[in-house]
Amino acid sequence: MDIRPRQLLLEMWEAAAEYSYQGGGWKFSGRAESNSTSDAEQLLCLMYPSYQMPGMEIVKPDETAKDVRVALERIGDARQIPQVLVRALSEYLERYTNERGAPVFSGGSYFQPVGQGEPLTPEQRALEIVDSFSMSITLSLAILGFVREFRPTVRRDALLAEMRELEKAASRRLTASMVGILRSFTVRTFAAYSEEGRALCDLVNTEGKSTEKVLDEVRDALVPARTSLRELKLGVELSAEAVDDDSVLFECGWSWGIIRDAPPVDAGTGVVVDQSPGVAQAKPSLYFTVVALDGISDLFSARTRQLGLINPDQEGLVGALQLRSNLAQLYWSTIARLGRSRWPVEEVPWRSANPADEGPETDYDTLLAASITIEALATERARDVDIARIADVLAELAVRGRVTRRARLREPAIELHVPGVRLPLTGAEDLGPAMEWPVADFSTALLKRVARTAAVTRDSALRDRLVGLADEIWDRHVRLRQLSDGPGAGLWDDISLFKLSPTDKGPSWYFTERVMEALVTVAAVSVARPYSARLADLALDMLAEADHLHTAELLRESPTSTVPARTQLHGIGANLQRARELRERQPATSIAIVQAALRDLDALAMARRA
Amino acid sequence: MIIFATSDKGGTGRSVTSCNVAYRRAMQGSDVCYLDFDFGSPTAGAIFGVEAAGQGTATGGGLHEYLAGRTAEVDQLDVWGQSELGGPRARPLGAGRLTLLPGDSGGGEFPVDATMARRCSDLFLRLDEEFELTLVDLSAGRSYATELVLRATADPALAEKTARWLVFHRWTRQHIVAAAGLVFGPHGILETGMDRGHRRRELEDTIRFVRTAVLEPDSPQLAVLRAEQSVWLQSYNTDLQKLAAKLRLGRSVMLGSIPLDPVLQWREQIIVEDDISTTRIANEETGQAFEDLAKRLTDDSAWEGL
Repeated sequence: MDIRPRQLLLEMWEAAAEYSYQGGGWKFSGRAESNSTSDAEQLLCLMYPSYQMPGMEIVKPDETAKDVRVALERIGDARQIPQVLVRALSEYLERYTNERGAPVFSGGSYFQPVGQGEPLTPEQRALEIVDSFSMSITLSLAILGFVREFRPTVRRDALLAEMRELEKAASRRLTASMVGILRSFTVRTFAAYSEEGRALCDLVNTEGKSTEKVLDEVRDALVPARTSLRELKLGVELSAEAVDDDSVLFECGWSWGIIRDAPPVDAGTGVVVDQSPGVAQAKPSLYFTVVALDGISDLFSARTRQLGLINPDQEGLVGALQLRSNLAQLYWSTIARLGRSRWPVEEVPWRSANPADEGPETDYDTLLAASITIEALATERARDVDIARIADVLAELAVRGRVTRRARLREPAIELHVPGVRLPLTGAEDLGPAMEWPVADFSTALLKRVARTAAVTRDSALRDRLVGLADEIWDRHVRLRQLSDGPGAGLWDDISLFKLSPTDKGPSWYFTERVMEALVTVAAVSVARPYSARLADLALDMLAEADHLHTAELLRESPTSTVPARTQLHGIGANLQRARELRERQPATSIAIVQAALRDLDALAMARRA
Repeated sequence: MIIFATSDKGGTGRSVTSCNVAYRRAMQGSDVCYLDFDFGSPTAGAIFGVEAAGQGTATGGGLHEYLAGRTAEVDQLDVWGQSELGGPRARPLGAGRLTLLPGDSGGGEFPVDATMARRCSDLFLRLDEEFELTLVDLSAGRSYATELVLRATADPALAEKTARWLVFHRWTRQHIVAAAGLVFGPHGILETGMDRGHRRRELEDTIRFVRTAVLEPDSPQLAVLRAEQSVWLQSYNTDLQKLAAKLRLGRSVMLGSIPLDPVLQWREQIIVEDDISTTRIANEETGQAFEDLAKRLTDDSAWEGL
């Protein structure tokens, strides 16, 4: 692997500290006007690697690594870094709490009007968005863990009090974001012969079968998903027909914000949560579903469990979200892999509901479907041949999306990156002009999924191919978008790669945060150890021969009585012991050690014959 | 401000380091006095290069005799005028006073009583008026000298004065454990201090650690190591860091770290400017470490706890 995640993340930290820490305090700003998502992104660039990457911790000042201290020198020494973060995090939580004490998750400056239309109304800018809920789950858990781990070293009462407040506020925000994301989940039903039903059939019909046959297959495949539908109760209105009548088709997942008429959710006592009525159309979006799943998965991480970050009042919400994420995961991974020979996800690009105006967004949809599928394959501990199918899809997307290939001038694929896929936020037009959500992270999302796939597979050749692809994505695309000068140098996103003149200065935290996440995922590839049963067998056979020769040497009387030979034989014995220990975990290393031992033994045998 | 220098074991380089720090501090412009409370082996004179008090003074006017009540005045030796180290015998331009109050040759340890503690606090009070920094070098381990100064500083007359503690230890497993024991263990500084009327928490906040003879894994001195040695050193260093953090002497309560320097090991004297820039027998980093430590003694942000 050529990418060096730790070094790159440290460089990113240095640049982020340089930009964000000014005049003795944290400065929330960047290319986009501050909003609940972008400010969280800015903080996560520092927070996330600090607990995801071993050796990059900053929460125990006594153990902070030297290169980490150097990278964050601008903020202060190892003792000051966590203290500055306590203040910055508290400021973030305060900034995004309204006058009634309820956390807010508005999309703000990230919302855009469709086309060059009239500007959005303040009510529209205040709408809450799934991206912010999801990011807030991650950030709140990061803060809770940070406080939990920092506290044992702290003795000063003032700081302890500050941390108690921070912990309470983060816990409130966690509850509120779970309530919000719960109320953004929807199940939509439609008749088999409706327009939507036909679109679904078209999507999964990769072999040109009759509609009747396809419908049968869809119904059969969806039986497990339909069964778990019954368990949903909280925050969603379900009609009985969706659950029981299997002639009715359904889809489930997350819309862009709080669903219109979503019932309020019991948030537990002592927590103020604004449960304003939503406006979002009750139609699941693949994009927002993947965003929600990414955030929700942090609720079940090993760290969350070990540190006990969920309080008893929140267990109910966590349980409800687990049901929903399992269901959405099951539904979409089933759809993406329906059919015998060719999966819908392999049918690049993904088929949208209206084929007439398909644009670059369908390539993005393929990437989303592949993301869900790879997570399903990971949980199912699927066979490597299946993982290879997704790997092929990802490799093709890298070419189609002009990530590993040069783009021609004004080629439509450029729109995937700048300005990004623009998702219509249906329902928001009630409060003003039609509104869109730009999604411009194709290359980093692709890098992240490629790395994830490499970590999942156990096939060395496939892994090698994916690691090579990740290197290529980094080297030919993501790296080139790093800002080289001006404010925010060292951060992202420089779009001159696409022969577009940069519209404004300053770092894009949206993109920088995603680069950071991709790098953390790349680092996780090396956690999974490659394994070869073939080599382990070979090592065993070689060990048997070496052992035999070694024992034979020890049975001779004379050589062991002289010092040089005795030391040599002792060394060989120790090496064989080591090789035996390593055989299962690192068979190739084991073989290398046995080879050296065999050569040493042979040298003794040769000498005796001379 | 009064600074007490102590260490868990002998041979940590406590005296050499404190003398160097006193010297640097005086060079930075402060008036500094240095009290040799290591009654069993008063060697501060030798470290400063003051021959008259090489192994303590023989005039009968040392600290030992004063505390025992056998003399009313303690000898005050001007180090600038008497030291044989570092060129002309005069105070360098811009430097503050540097005064040594030596021990007595053949002094030895002695049990502490109330009059002695009173005499000790009188002395501290007087010196604190006269000097910006009073550096008291105690003997190693749990000693009478330590008990004496804990009693003296508990005296209400001294309560308003700032007193701080430096605990020196080498960067090895055994020294780390011993230093933790000296501070937090039974009959350690905190326990003894509480017996003498100090409040534990406040006393603890005035204690910082100084690591001596440290081999930093990334130091250019270690470029000669084999890859295996270097990797081992790095990982062992990480283990020591974890141990130190667990025993509450981690980086957040560390005031300074003095690198290993052959000149300190063998010569045991102050490192003067000439040693670094002219004869180049001492490392620049060593001088820098003393310089930083000298500044941090009175830098409140370095003493602010977490």
